[in-house]
Amino acid sequence: MFLRILWKSLSKRKSRIAIAVISVIMGAAIATALLSVSLDVGEKVGYEFRKYGANLMVVPESDTIEVGFPGVDFGSVTEQRYINESDLWKIKTIFWRNNVLGFAPILYQVVSIGEGEDEQNVVLAGTYFSKDIEIIEPYSSNDPLIFNTGIQEISPWWKVSGNWIEDQNDTTSSMVGINVAEKLNLEIGDTLTIRYYANYEELTNETVYNLKVKGIVETDGNEDNQIFVNLQVAQDLTGRNDKVHMIQVSALCNACPVDTFAEEIEGKITYAEARTVKQLVSAEMNILGKIEDMMFLVTIVALLASALGVMTTMTTSVIERQKEIGLMKSVGAEDKKIVSLFLSEASIIGVIGGIFGYIIGIILSQFIGLSVFNTSITPRFEIIPIALGISVGITLLASALPVRRATKIEPAIVLRGE
Amino acid sequence: MTKEIIRLINLTKLYEKDTRPINNITVSMNKGAWTSIMGPSGSGKTTLLNLIGCLDSATKGSIHINGTEITKLNRNQLTKFRRENIGLIFQQYHLVPYLTAVENVMMAQYYHSFVEESEAVDALKRVGLGHRLKHVPAHLSGGEQQRVCIARALINEPEILLADEPTGNLDQKNGEVVLKLIKELHKEGHTIVLVTHNPDIGRLGDRLINLIDGKISSDSIINKMKYGIIKEV
Ligand SMILES: Nc1ncnc2c1ncn2[C@@H]1O[C@H](COP(=O)(O)OP(=O)(O)OP(=O)(O)O)[C@@H](O)[C@H]1O
Ligand SMILES: [Mg+2]
Repeated sequence: MFLRILWKSLSKRKSRIAIAVISVIMGAAIATALLSVSLDVGEKVGYEFRKYGANLMVVPESDTIEVGFPGVDFGSVTEQRYINESDLWKIKTIFWRNNVLGFAPILYQVVSIGEGEDEQNVVLAGTYFSKDIEIIEPYSSNDPLIFNTGIQEISPWWKVSGNWIEDQNDTTSSMVGINVAEKLNLEIGDTLTIRYYANYEELTNETVYNLKVKGIVETDGNEDNQIFVNLQVAQDLTGRNDKVHMIQVSALCNACPVDTFAEEIEGKITYAEARTVKQLVSAEMNILGKIEDMMFLVTIVALLASALGVMTTMTTSVIERQKEIGLMKSVGAEDKKIVSLFLSEASIIGVIGGIFGYIIGIILSQFIGLSVFNTSITPRFEIIPIALGISVGITLLASALPVRRATKIEPAIVLRGE
Repeated sequence: MTKEIIRLINLTKLYEKDTRPINNITVSMNKGAWTSIMGPSGSGKTTLLNLIGCLDSATKGSIHINGTEITKLNRNQLTKFRRENIGLIFQQYHLVPYLTAVENVMMAQYYHSFVEESEAVDALKRVGLGHRLKHVPAHLSGGEQQRVCIARALINEPEILLADEPTGNLDQKNGEVVLKLIKELHKEGHTIVLVTHNPDIGRLGDRLINLIDGKISSDSIINKMKYGIIKEV
């Protein structure tokens, strides 16, 4: 009988209920959308920000490479110190290893390109493109033993025409910065000749090397003036086995302690110094934090609005149904029966609103994701109970006052005239 | 032989300072008696019925029904007491608009104890509405709606029936059907308190009480077989 009363009272007042449901839907949709967006974008914004470069630079101790400007002049590099390539895996064994998205070592060498009058110096950078690194002593026995990483992984923003160098053993291919390519009129598939002088001052002991151009790189940064090859090529060319100048590390940081990362890496590679790209990281955290604050505020406002909507409808409904409530009381309904009738109605409104709100919220999150963050948002099913909880909670809360009012109705009004 | 079932002692109801719709009434009514209450508009008839029906609380004085001093009960106790002891019939035949005739009767069962659809159907048949079970109030005539109210008032077998101008909104024919039902109920032993403006209806009972300005102005026994005892102060 209770269900019959409940069902009929709901279905006979469809338009009123619809208004309440719609206001719950709006609140739940916005909450769902912003929750999905902030869960997803929390990670994705991290990726977005990595566009601006690695957020950690590992260099030999007391080296003076400037952070964020790796293409320094190596004119007098006789006392240049190095990091051992064979120590790279240790970066993946720090406590925060899972937040280390990737890293790439770089060994620089100035080489010559062009013929005769046009001959000029350019920086050759040996690095990993996509390399399987063996983790010799993993932090935990559950960790994978192979870590695939490289410049491709940490520099997703590179605009590459042609191809990346996929083969880690490819010693004959290169990727050429756009400025270099334009100067030499290079196209993909062309051969590029580089000269390396073991004695640079006198330009003697020349080694000539032919590289196939596999891809042309455009970054609007120093990379546009450089030539990239597998680390192996650069090491062989200059006889610096196992040596790299620096390591660019990309850590996923939405509120992770980059300073701790740096300290930990220094603990693992004791002769190295890890520098954080401070401004970038704090800007990253700052903006993320602000976006989250804003979303939180918007969600609160949306929920308040829907609570208000529910409260208005419920109050109107209680006023409209005064007679009916009085009548129910006069035939013997106690307050708790009236309360449970209204709260059940509220819960049903909340559940329906929550379900549709979730669906609409997921759609909404796609729009927000695409238009604001330029990324699609993964629908998360774990938000369903949250959306339902929020909308049922809001409707019940918003109904509290109107229902209280309903219990206060005197059955005496029923016997009285209209 | 006759036993009193309703006793009002110095009963006063006060809405605002000046309006005193019930002004110090002391009266008792006997079990099984049909008491008619008449009086000009605003004399306090509905207020008195609300007080006896546990729908309203008294300002002063006490009401005893079947030995229980209901003026001492709280709201929920009043509700429970009402559904056990009192059936109500209203002038405006209030029904829940979205429930059918039989569901309106079942609602009273539901709030009383448990639902027994066949009993609800029987109650409606008894008031001559066996063919209108599934109609919603909007599809019933006034007389039919009033009969649904009577069926609902009877469904939990209350000892006392309170009726506030039950025929006030009905035409002669429908009014007679309703009165016939009330007479039957009276014969079966229900105690009836009926408010009316119609002197002919007023004379149908065992006893006639006239109210003026919240006080009893006259009280006469019409049917000596079942009379009430009056103690005017
Ligand atoms: N809720 C209320 N608040 C204030 N005054 C009220 C209220 N209800 C009734 N009254 C007043 O109490 C007095 C008695 O009202 P009551 O309804 O009992 O009269 P009645 O005899 O039933 O009249 P009628 O024959 O018109 O139905 C009237 O003066 C009325 O205005
Ligand atoms: Mg009245």
